[in-house]
Amino acid sequence: MARLQLQHVTRRFDNGQEGLSDVSLSIEPGSMVFLTGHSGAGKSTLLKMLIGAETPTTGRVLVDGSDVSQLGPKQMPWYRRQVGIVLQDHNLLEDRTVFDNVALPLRITHLPAKDIARRVRGALSTVDLSAKGHLLPRHLSTGEQQRVGIARAVVNRPRIILADEPTGNLDPYLSRQVMSLFHQFCDLGSTVLVASHDIDLIKDQGCRILHLSQGALVQDTASPEEARA
Amino acid sequence: MVDESRADSAQGATSTVIVGRPKGVLLHAWFADHARVAADTSLFVSQRLMSSFLVWLMVGVALTLPGLLWIAQSNAKAFGEQWPGSTALTVYMKVAAPAQSIIDLEGRLNREAEVERVVLTTPDQALQELLAQSDDSAFLRDALAAVGSNPLPASFAVVLTDNSSYLQLEALSRKLSAQTGVDNVVIEMTWLERLRDLSDLANRMGGALSVMLLIAAVLVAFASVRLAIESRLGELRVLALIGATPAQMRRPFLYFGSAYGIGGGVMAIVLTAVFLNQIETPLQSLLVSYRAGIEIAGFTPGFLLVILLAGWFLGVAGALLALLQRGVSDNPAK
Repeated sequence: MARLQLQHVTRRFDNGQEGLSDVSLSIEPGSMVFLTGHSGAGKSTLLKMLIGAETPTTGRVLVDGSDVSQLGPKQMPWYRRQVGIVLQDHNLLEDRTVFDNVALPLRITHLPAKDIARRVRGALSTVDLSAKGHLLPRHLSTGEQQRVGIARAVVNRPRIILADEPTGNLDPYLSRQVMSLFHQFCDLGSTVLVASHDIDLIKDQGCRILHLSQGALVQDTASPEEARA
Repeated sequence: MVDESRADSAQGATSTVIVGRPKGVLLHAWFADHARVAADTSLFVSQRLMSSFLVWLMVGVALTLPGLLWIAQSNAKAFGEQWPGSTALTVYMKVAAPAQSIIDLEGRLNREAEVERVVLTTPDQALQELLAQSDDSAFLRDALAAVGSNPLPASFAVVLTDNSSYLQLEALSRKLSAQTGVDNVVIEMTWLERLRDLSDLANRMGGALSVMLLIAAVLVAFASVRLAIESRLGELRVLALIGATPAQMRRPFLYFGSAYGIGGGVMAIVLTAVFLNQIETPLQSLLVSYRAGIEIAGFTPGFLLVILLAGWFLGVAGALLALLQRGVSDNPAK
């Protein structure tokens, strides 16, 4: 069974514009897939649908066969706890330290404090921020804030990782490091979907690429003809 | 990090994403989350001590008046009950009124529905009491000897039932004044009756005012929690995205409401104590002038508990209103 599946999904906004137009795709467990396209192509809308923050106007968004848009307010949190999301604008809590920001997904699951500390230290080490756990986000550079967001997304070992431009503010070395981290999670069975503009970085990864244009899926390298191209 | 994840066999391609609440995480999780939120709330309030103090003061002032009214009401009631003589009339007969008219009047008084008890004081008894109370009884005896007869009249102390109103008292007084042999009828403690009427009026007005003040307390908590929600919208969005439940997102704000309400309750207790302390001495002095030695009651542990609970309830009500109005649990991840 596909882990993530979109079946003829269309998202029409109040102003009549279509964020997504009849998109169908399927992503297998343990795979890493890139989502590309210009600004406004529908990448963020697609990721929001997968996290349940947007609902399709028509079509279905399925995760392991369950329709995400049908999840009620009591079910949605339990689903989201298994999804790590990296947002373009970081969304860090300014009045909490880096450590506390990363610990947030673990605290809401009531993990014991010592386990939280161990996991947060591990996540910070992965993104090269071990020495900055005590700082507030405003004391970090944009790139460092981005890495905190990534650490927060992976700290609870999610089954699905959705990343919206995760390397947008990172230098090439750190970008490759983050991609390597995502690959490692893939090896463990997590499904990773990364929205990115960085074509060079994407090509280096050798992964399946979905290309969106004006809300429509115009290219999918998973299909044999696209893969050959 | 990843190595640790590798050890977690639950993760992997073969495991399915759970889209419902897993079993067996309820009670422990509930307590743990409350403890975490309580700590966060304490930190939030302590970091904004001045603004929190102002909220406590506003809620406290709004709670103080109803509390004082309650104390005043219970004391007025106790005062009426503990008054040495209950509502009564004293009927003075004419000097040397015939014994038969005295007996007739006593019989008539005993038949009146609103009369509870009648105590007759004969002229001789009155004289003996007068002599006993006089500092210079020898002088008084000489004076009485010069008069040659007892100049004091017989009198009836008429004690009325508790549910007799002042109007009934006046009607009875007029009726008795018209009786043969009656010289004068004095209504005792009319001021107490008037005090009761005034107290009733004050209670009704105070009740309405109290309701308005309690609504004001709810609105203060509402506005404060609403501000807290607005200042934490970003946090709510993040919490929703990482899987916080609606209850987890509401909980901090309910705790803010509780903190504001209970703090307001403590403030109300302090204000009430200060007020009672200020009025105690002049009130005692006033009561002594009426030969009553009743102490102010009502500031009991029960009262303190009620005020704290009322404060908590109002704070939570304000917080719930703010959450309802802001729709915190309606997918802020959008």
